[in-house]
Amino acid sequence: MINLANTIIAGIKERIANSAKINQSVGIIVPGNNYTDMLEALFSHMKSNTDDVWAYVAITKPFDTIKKTCTDLSNFKNIKFIDCISRAAGIATLEGECTYIESPTMLEKVSMEAMNMFQGIPEETNKYLVIDSLSAMMIYNDPETVTEFFYHLINKTRANDIHSISMVIEEEELDKYLSKIIYLNDKILKVRDSFI
Amino acid sequence: MAENDLCTTGIGEFDIQLGGGIPLGSTVLVVGSSGSGKTTLCMQYLINGAKNGERAVFFTITEPLFKLTKNLEGFSFYDKKLIESGMVNLIDLRIISERLGLDAEKYTVEDAGALLDILKDIAEELNVKRLVIDSITALCYRLQTREMIRDFIFKLGTSLAAMDCTTFLTSEVPPQTFKYSQYEIEEFIADGIVFLGDIDRKGDLIRTLQIVKMRGIAHSRTKFAMSISADRGIELTPLLKSRG
Repeated sequence: MINLANTIIAGIKERIANSAKINQSVGIIVPGNNYTDMLEALFSHMKSNTDDVWAYVAITKPFDTIKKTCTDLSNFKNIKFIDCISRAAGIATLEGECTYIESPTMLEKVSMEAMNMFQGIPEETNKYLVIDSLSAMMIYNDPETVTEFFYHLINKTRANDIHSISMVIEEEELDKYLSKIIYLNDKILKVRDSFI
Repeated sequence: MAENDLCTTGIGEFDIQLGGGIPLGSTVLVVGSSGSGKTTLCMQYLINGAKNGERAVFFTITEPLFKLTKNLEGFSFYDKKLIESGMVNLIDLRIISERLGLDAEKYTVEDAGALLDILKDIAEELNVKRLVIDSITALCYRLQTREMIRDFIFKLGTSLAAMDCTTFLTSEVPPQTFKYSQYEIEEFIADGIVFLGDIDRKGDLIRTLQIVKMRGIAHSRTKFAMSISADRGIELTPLLKSRG
């Protein structure tokens, strides 16, 4: 019998892999009920590309929760994390495997830390920045601030030859600011069950 | 301005916004409230210079030397060898003043003249190219009149400029104010003003840095978000304009 969840994840993974390779910036619109599958697909893709360098900005879920879901993460030195919510929530542990940002409102700091993660990486290495997610960023910041942040970030990543993958979690209808900024990406993936 | 006429701070984005660096021999007021990063900025400036062979001196009035060095040890830019080798000299000005009998609550004109001579002599003797007084506010407290303050800073700046020594003077101001100095005179004599402040975004304070004035160069007046971290010291990135 076909395991539906695994097939969805494999489908999403394939779409991410193909899009991220070709396009400089990819926006992923994912329904709330498919978010967990999407994360699994994304991490599976990240872990199968160990020659690439990944910086993962966690705003939806704290690093600790991600680590619990994805237990072998510490084996992948090519994946680095920036956690924007644990300090604000009072659940951060000491720095080590992860860079903690004091508050998700400190978007300039997020941008600085993200760019610093790629410093000294050889030019020929593929570099990817994941924003998880713009929707969560909107919870803590005004929409205009997130819009400005994302405009600058997209331009910075393009200037530094870094691929970006930014996620938007879609509920009933996409927020008007999110629908505006997500289309700044070169490619949009809409996650649907019809992927399979 | 030719590259040789500029003093690079070694703080990447700061130098870019200055168009390469600070004109040699300038006196720059580094303004900020308590905890705004004045001392860190000054120390990083001195240490970066020393790493490029420029001898430096840091005069502290507000903080004992042992505390200053202890705080510095946490930063990756700090190199103890530079202190031990005399490339960066840390001097407690209160101790020197006391030894020279300049321990009155308020200085006379002669006392101020004597202190000025000491500072010049030390700078000359050590052949420093970078000098910091932390803080000029504390030093000016002992000068009795605005004329004495003006005269002191002017003479200090002139003497050090003649030695091509670029000077940072830290200026303490209350938080959330747009004053550049306590006595409201220092900024008119200084060649440059760097303002360290903060903005409130949803209750969180974001550090900022703005170059308000720098004589002799075309510089950015944009407000930057400033980060201070142990592994990279001071870093700047443009501040988001939308106010949350």
